[in-house]
Amino acid sequence: MSLTARYLEAHGIPTVVMGCARDIVEHAGVARFLFSDFPLGNSCGKPGDLASQRGLVAMALDLLETANAPRTTVQSPYRWAEDTSWKDDFYRLDLTPEQKAKAREEFDSQKAVLKAKLDSSHE
Amino acid sequence: MNEQQPGNTIEAALDLPIRYIDRSRAYYLALGYDNPYRWAHNVDVPFASLTKPLTQSRVALITTAAPLKPDAGDQGPWAPYNASAKFTEVYSMPIEPPPDLRISHLGYDRKHTSAEDINTYFPLERIKKAAAEGRIGELNSRFYGVPTLRSQRLTTERDAPQILELCREDAIDAAILVPT
Repeated sequence: MSLTARYLEAHGIPTVVMGCARDIVEHAGVARFLFSDFPLGNSCGKPGDLASQRGLVAMALDLLETANAPRTTVQSPYRWAEDTSWKDDFYRLDLTPEQKAKAREEFDSQKAVLKAKLDSSHE
Repeated sequence: MNEQQPGNTIEAALDLPIRYIDRSRAYYLALGYDNPYRWAHNVDVPFASLTKPLTQSRVALITTAAPLKPDAGDQGPWAPYNASAKFTEVYSMPIEPPPDLRISHLGYDRKHTSAEDINTYFPLERIKKAAAEGRIGELNSRFYGVPTLRSQRLTTERDAPQILELCREDAIDAAILVPT
């Protein structure tokens, strides 16, 4: 998505990216980025929480207006939880050999599904 | 397993943003793959300014979420990763009636994210409200979807130009992009 934002910017359309993966978006380099330090999948607020959902849209719109240079990142003030232990759980490395084998099998089969879709869409 | 105590990762211990690039590399290497994904990296970043006040601007919403496909397996809350639900081409859809979009085809945090509230990944209703309150000129009458196909070449050479074309057709002044 960062690459799409960059393309639009290069062709004169201002953009703001709302996201949770700070390193990935900043590594790609975008003009305006509203970063939420939330688990991936919650770029626009917490579930069932009108305050964060409205607040983040308001901040994204403010950012469109106020940024005056590229790579402007704003970090939202909302917290996912006081307890930060959720940050331990994504891509855990403490897997047993059986869990690794299962993850690998799953990854390979999903990759094959995607490849088949791409092949059929190009026929 | 799963007896790791909170604070075992540097991110949890110091409340840093998760370093997804490092972690995904380590994860796929640990699984035995030897060619970890190389995330896009750019030094120069293009920048465009608004050409009119936001209160007079037409804003587009751009998403990586997918329209629900009844025949493509589990796409509901807590669904496992589901590549069958992926779409392979840029799409556009009207914002009315509100679309049923899902993210089961994307790699989000499945332990801590249920994906049961569309507003957490597709802020259509919240932007509509902002438009109704006059914060923006208007929300475009259709939104756009960008596929995620693990191919930076497809994104930059095929998909992004199509998104630009849609933006030009619709006279878009600014865009909000939401990756998941």
